[in-house]
Amino acid sequence: MTAWRTRAAALLREPLVHFLVLGALVFVALSGRAPDLGERRIIVDEPVVAGLVNHHVRAFRRPPTAEELDGLISDHVRGEVYYREALRLGLDADDEVVKKRLRNKMLAIAGAEAEAARPSDAELQALLDADPARYAAPPRYRLAQIYLGPDAPALRAAAAAEIGRIPKGARPGITTQPLPLPARFDDASQTDLAEQLGDDFATALARLPLGTWMGPVVSGFGLHLVRIDQRVQPPPPRLADVRQRLENDWRSDAIRNAQDAHLQQLLDSYAVEIKRPS
Amino acid sequence: MRRTILVAALLLGSSAMLASCDAPKPTAKSAAAVKESEFPDRPLWGDTHLHTANSVDAFGFGVRLGPEEALRFARGEEVTATTGMKAKLSRPLDFLVVTDHAEALGGTKALADSPRLLIRDATMRRWHDMMNEGPAGSQRAMAEILDARGRNAVPEAMLNADGAAKRTKKVWNANVDAVERYNEPGTFTAFHGFEYTLMQGGNNLHRNIIFRDGEDKVRTVVPIDPTYKATPDEIWNYMDAYEKSTGGRVLAIPHNSNLSNGLMFELTQPGGGPMTAAYAKRRARLEPVVEITQIKGDSEAHPFLSPNDEFSGYGMAGWEMNNLLSNQPKVPSMYAGEYVREALKRGLALEAQTGVNPYKFGLIGSTDSHTALATADEDQFFGKHSGTEPSAARTMAPQNLGTRKGRFGWHYLASGYAAVWAKANTRAAIFDAMTRREVYASTGPRMTVRVFGGWDFTADDLKGDWVRAGYARGVPMGGELKPGKGGAPRLLISALKDPEGANLDRVQVVKGWIDKAGKTHEQVFDVAWSGDRKPVAGKLPSVGDTVDVAAATYKNNIGAAALTTVWTDPAFDPAISSFYYLRVLEIPTPSWPAYDAVRYKLKLPPEVRVKSQERAYTSPIWYTPNQNLGKS
Repeated sequence: MTAWRTRAAALLREPLVHFLVLGALVFVALSGRAPDLGERRIIVDEPVVAGLVNHHVRAFRRPPTAEELDGLISDHVRGEVYYREALRLGLDADDEVVKKRLRNKMLAIAGAEAEAARPSDAELQALLDADPARYAAPPRYRLAQIYLGPDAPALRAAAAAEIGRIPKGARPGITTQPLPLPARFDDASQTDLAEQLGDDFATALARLPLGTWMGPVVSGFGLHLVRIDQRVQPPPPRLADVRQRLENDWRSDAIRNAQDAHLQQLLDSYAVEIKRPS
Repeated sequence: MRRTILVAALLLGSSAMLASCDAPKPTAKSAAAVKESEFPDRPLWGDTHLHTANSVDAFGFGVRLGPEEALRFARGEEVTATTGMKAKLSRPLDFLVVTDHAEALGGTKALADSPRLLIRDATMRRWHDMMNEGPAGSQRAMAEILDARGRNAVPEAMLNADGAAKRTKKVWNANVDAVERYNEPGTFTAFHGFEYTLMQGGNNLHRNIIFRDGEDKVRTVVPIDPTYKATPDEIWNYMDAYEKSTGGRVLAIPHNSNLSNGLMFELTQPGGGPMTAAYAKRRARLEPVVEITQIKGDSEAHPFLSPNDEFSGYGMAGWEMNNLLSNQPKVPSMYAGEYVREALKRGLALEAQTGVNPYKFGLIGSTDSHTALATADEDQFFGKHSGTEPSAARTMAPQNLGTRKGRFGWHYLASGYAAVWAKANTRAAIFDAMTRREVYASTGPRMTVRVFGGWDFTADDLKGDWVRAGYARGVPMGGELKPGKGGAPRLLISALKDPEGANLDRVQVVKGWIDKAGKTHEQVFDVAWSGDRKPVAGKLPSVGDTVDVAAATYKNNIGAAALTTVWTDPAFDPAISSFYYLRVLEIPTPSWPAYDAVRYKLKLPPEVRVKSQERAYTSPIWYTPNQNLGKS
């Protein structure tokens, strides 16, 4: 620490630094603004130097040499002078780079706490209770299906007529078409069926009665007759079973909500006027 | 005057955060608890090649979504894309591998975020400023960085090894965290992986690295960069060392052979000299699968190599002139080392020379999207990178990757996905299916394709439990057909359209073989097709075309929902080595620029691709005669 102080002190004796600081003062004086002594002092003290050293260590994995540190300090002074002067001249306004950087910093601050936070069980339970269907496992089916052919009005009519004619316990007598999918699914989830036969088919199953041939049911391939033998509705999801998904959703929401809430808090103190060109 | 109001639920209270400190670690359903089916029931769909904000170039091109958003999107959640649009897959994927570039993992993000004061290199400082300027500046900076990389002119400070290693470890660990959180055995598989971006003078030799294992093993390593003048041996050494030290498993998937200027599938060792058996063996073991189709073009077959194949050269426009960085033009002699069909044939030739086939690989598709959004459907394509997310300008925007001439937004293909015949949706089951090559590629549509090779299949097999018969009396795609008692190989073939997509035009068998003189050959057979078309002079007439380009629609009143057949090789010679793979063609459908034209009311120039016949490619089945079997 003492070494840095010595170096900093040495730097402050440097003609270049004097030149820069004085030059800045002259510049400011000439700009005609009221002098503000508090803002006119650039103090390179121990914490500042330590910060510069730390940055260097992080970037280059070693402390700066004496010469490098002089350079860093000198550059820091320049940076400060230019920064303050630029602010004084209002150069930060309407600068897209500055705006974007600052916006990102604000977002990072707002989201940082949420990123590290862990939800309580009560919070996860509340999330689960708010939308149990989202976390529920899909229903599972045991069913038989036969494929009649591509969707067409005549075939729909024939299929509907056939449904009324099938004797109990018998197979439909209507002409079928080959389709390289299983005629029976013993234990398929609604998701699996949607992947293989299309969403419309999988959704339609929820409305069909058990134990009887029904149809026509439309798949991505055409028309089917379907007999559902068993529909297993999984029990409502418990926290322990879906904890991982709940936490993922919670985290993703929490970061966004923290950012939104932060923004809202700030926005509350602004009046926003929007005038669109007519 | 209007007061802007944001609706925001205050989910986050400080008390809530304090209360949670000792909450139990989430318990994922363990992979061991997932039941494996007797046979693979349905193909699992996924993307093995996706970039997020942790990739140097993806970040440079503007993406701000990380692995977490990428995983949420792939499993079917709505996310907000970088450009602000809400995005949700119409159908979730079954698995995802986030493969950010190992090279300077998080590097551009670090450059953009680092204090300007500390960036001493003037070039890097300029890039830093450009990146913080906004998307346009960011893309210009990225173009310059890629160009510098191709010329080996990246500033020394940017390659700073110590800083980069530390950053890589940090980014890798955060990535591992996210992947673990989203891996749900039985429902959605998230793999650990990265991209090893090997590039020799702008020639693409990239590989995606995929681990079979969980965090306990993958945290012991970090992704590696190719060093200057590296050959693939470098990544293979890394993989072998990983397997040895952890007892885990890892594989590599080469991609964009079409941009390697002939170097991906060479007949020699890298750098010249005859290929050794040891090299061939190692390559075949560590690289069981190749990515054949993706956004930067399709690498199946080139018309120069396959002049008799009227469907070769899919999505070739823009990619057939130069290498990846467009700093070296292509000459026809390079094609043979770039296209997969030719590589499979070269594999037979190299096997004849060395006793080992280095190119005995399965085929998958993937996106290589740099938006963190794994989209491969034409009507919901989010582009190659965030500069090409949906907008009126993207179809005609120049995409020169740093230099000179000739690529535009429309050259990007909305392609592809990987289909895996696994017995369960777990890391182990999917990885093992890749290892045995029981996988296939699609340019996007989720067609269900099966093929079994055997000696005694008959048309009757298709009437019964043909999947069981296929496994019992044959080998599935990716398999090796052992010599039978006689006759010719028979393929039991089934292709089913995407239940949410277009009908099928035809199924083709692509056969490759090597004659006794050591010369390789290929032939494409139409084996099943829709309607009652009759081949004319050996050529099957076109299926027709229902695409209304102006409305970006098509009709399924041509083509077939399913095509099945048992096909027998009409010209089989049991004494020579051969392979067979399927190519399944859809009827013509609108391409993504056509959807864009409707969405944004565009008038597209005539050269822009507005429709195509999308397709699936299966892994081959190989036949090797007895006298050659001992050698490998």
